[in-house]
Amino acid sequence: MMARCPESLRRVVAAFLLVLLAVPALAVPPPKPRDVRDPHYGEVLYFFYQQNYFSALAHLMTAQHFGQFPHHTDEAELLRGGMLLSYGVHLEAGRIFERLIESGAAPGVRDRAWFYLAKIRYQRGYHDEAQDALSRIGGVLPGDLESERRLLHAFLLMRREQYREAATLLEGIKGQTDWLRYGRYNLGVALVRAGETERGMALLQQIGQEPVAVEEFKALRDKANVALGYIFLQAGRPEEARVALERVRLDGLMSNKALLGMGWVYSAQEKQERALVYWDELRKRPIQDAAVLESLLASPYALGKLGAWRRSLEEYETAIAVYNRELAQLDSSIAAIRAGRLATSLLHDDGVEEMGWTWQLEQLPDSPETRYLSQFLASHEFQEALKNYRDLSFLSGRLEQWVSDVASYQDMLATRRQGFRERLPAVLSSKRVQDQGRIAQERDRYTQMLGKIDWENDAEALANEKDQTQLARLERIRRLMSRNPVEDENWQRYRLLRGLLRWDIETDYPARLWEVKKSLQDLDRALADTETRRTVLVRAQLDTPASLDAFEGRIRALIPRIRVYQERARELGRLQAEYLAELAVAELNAQRDRLVTYLTQARFAVAQIYDQSSSQAPEAKEP
Amino acid sequence: MRNILMKIFDCISVLNLWRWLQAGTLAVTLLFSATPLLAAEKQGGTAEFQSLDRKIQGLKQEVLDLNRDLFVLEEELLFPASTQLAVFLSVDTGTFFQLESVELKVDNKVVTHYLYTERENAALHRGGVHRLYLGNLRTGKHEVVAVFTGKGPHERDYRRGTTLQIDKQTDSQFI
Repeated sequence: MMARCPESLRRVVAAFLLVLLAVPALAVPPPKPRDVRDPHYGEVLYFFYQQNYFSALAHLMTAQHFGQFPHHTDEAELLRGGMLLSYGVHLEAGRIFERLIESGAAPGVRDRAWFYLAKIRYQRGYHDEAQDALSRIGGVLPGDLESERRLLHAFLLMRREQYREAATLLEGIKGQTDWLRYGRYNLGVALVRAGETERGMALLQQIGQEPVAVEEFKALRDKANVALGYIFLQAGRPEEARVALERVRLDGLMSNKALLGMGWVYSAQEKQERALVYWDELRKRPIQDAAVLESLLASPYALGKLGAWRRSLEEYETAIAVYNRELAQLDSSIAAIRAGRLATSLLHDDGVEEMGWTWQLEQLPDSPETRYLSQFLASHEFQEALKNYRDLSFLSGRLEQWVSDVASYQDMLATRRQGFRERLPAVLSSKRVQDQGRIAQERDRYTQMLGKIDWENDAEALANEKDQTQLARLERIRRLMSRNPVEDENWQRYRLLRGLLRWDIETDYPARLWEVKKSLQDLDRALADTETRRTVLVRAQLDTPASLDAFEGRIRALIPRIRVYQERARELGRLQAEYLAELAVAELNAQRDRLVTYLTQARFAVAQIYDQSSSQAPEAKEP
Repeated sequence: MRNILMKIFDCISVLNLWRWLQAGTLAVTLLFSATPLLAAEKQGGTAEFQSLDRKIQGLKQEVLDLNRDLFVLEEELLFPASTQLAVFLSVDTGTFFQLESVELKVDNKVVTHYLYTERENAALHRGGVHRLYLGNLRTGKHEVVAVFTGKGPHERDYRRGTTLQIDKQTDSQFI
């Protein structure tokens, strides 16, 4: 255990915590604002925090290409793994995690990463890989995660029918956690399957009698009571079954099964009138439920037991009509599904703006394809397959958009090429650019002149216009006065004025010299800048066509690549839709088989009643 | 995960009326005994799912690589490094300022006006950085002005601006 974490490892750990937040159902408070040193990395986080994983990934991979994360290299790679996980690419995510985890993450972070990988792999049906990930967890996970891990491990054991080992594992779930309830429920079932029926039933009894407030656990309690009720019925203990079934809520998901069971409880106790009360209630409920369909047979059975054969016959015939109608509707649902409309029907109202593991189908459309599938559609197998189909729809949409984007790039390229062909030569041959040489020559001349002035200290050369005028005037006066060489007052005045003017000019000379030098320096910079730009333009004239050709090559190569991916997305989408349809049709066929069984039994019962009546059985009292 | 629990151990009674009519006894078959059959069916289904899933994962990875190549091409084509200017925005005001919009001007010309949603704001407050503007600018001196509009403490409207003088060189520049 490291006493002090180096900065780079702290960043990796922080990134891992961030990655693990990408996985849903994690009760961790959001992290504090991060220390982002590269703005492009912060941009990735901006998309990541909004769960726009596709956009986040795109920006991350682009920035990695340009090397724009110098301070966040490892974190970025870890984030990429986490987002690939959320994007459903868990195989590559697993490889990234393995590489990075083994190279330096703390054990606690490592264990959590393996746990989440195991969870996602399990959900996607990769049970061996999920087991492998679980086996890499070295220590005890914090808080509820440890309970969840044991539960996940127990699921994997139960899938291999190792119920005793699963029971042992689940018994290790301690403390008051939500997962404990599920653990105990599954332990109860595991024990019953392992032959330890009494132990299993005792656990289910506990769960069935627990006071709970949350709807989710109320539903679990109902499930436990229904399971218990039917176990007791099978064991020939109807009174105990009754006690368990009476605890089930009338408005919950398990209420239909409970009502059916209650009817059989009283039927087993030869209290057919009581049984009829429950079955008559059940018959008023939506017909697609298996328990409701069964009650259509159970009621006439009870009536038969009571001797009310005419009513029993009528109800059997009603049941036959209902079964035939439901069979026809099932067949029509199967036909609709086989016509390939199931997947598109399910995603009809979905915007498909982003994709990933976190999406779930929340509302079922009311259509022929989905009418009999409400329970089945909640299964993981179907949901994961539907997610893949949805993701493929998203990809197809993106690929289609990119085809038009690439066409835009080609247009941009053509415009740029035309611009260089027409505008650049015009700029290079323009008078301004051509005048550059002349300006440089004049600059040289002025520099020479200034050098001479500076060397000779010739202040009058830099005299301004006013001084020049004054000098000219004094020179004219001197020439006029030179006709009279006698030294008089005028000459004295002339010398005074000349001296004053010279004083002013000499005084201003240093500042003027500096100004002119500065102006020449500015001119030098401007000429240098112009020359640089001209050189860039000349180089561009030579290099740009090749660079544009390279762009054109890259763009042209993209189009067939997009087409190939479009074709693969289409084909995989078709296969995935077929797979979804297969799953749904298998479920509907199972329901159909059940209906056929009921129909057969109803017809047999009708035949038996006719047989009985033809042998002149005495009329019984109507209940 | 919890949905799995609910579904695996579902309980359905299948009543065999044929046997009742014959023997007058009640037979209840628990789904538990039928589950191994269901598990076997799911194993077969899982193999087909995995086969498709691997192909789909492969396609996703390749499309991601394509997406990256498109982004790179777009950036190099539209915003070459020599003229590229990017302006990023981050927030470190805690809960005292709720950013609603930003207007950005370069050399007195509005180049972008962005309105932030609640979700985007939350992402900023968690440490995300928004690339407000990506464009081209010639070398030399330029003026960048950003005006922020939002809500301050006690829901008061808040509007503040900032000006930055930049000297664009021939490399990409980030603000």
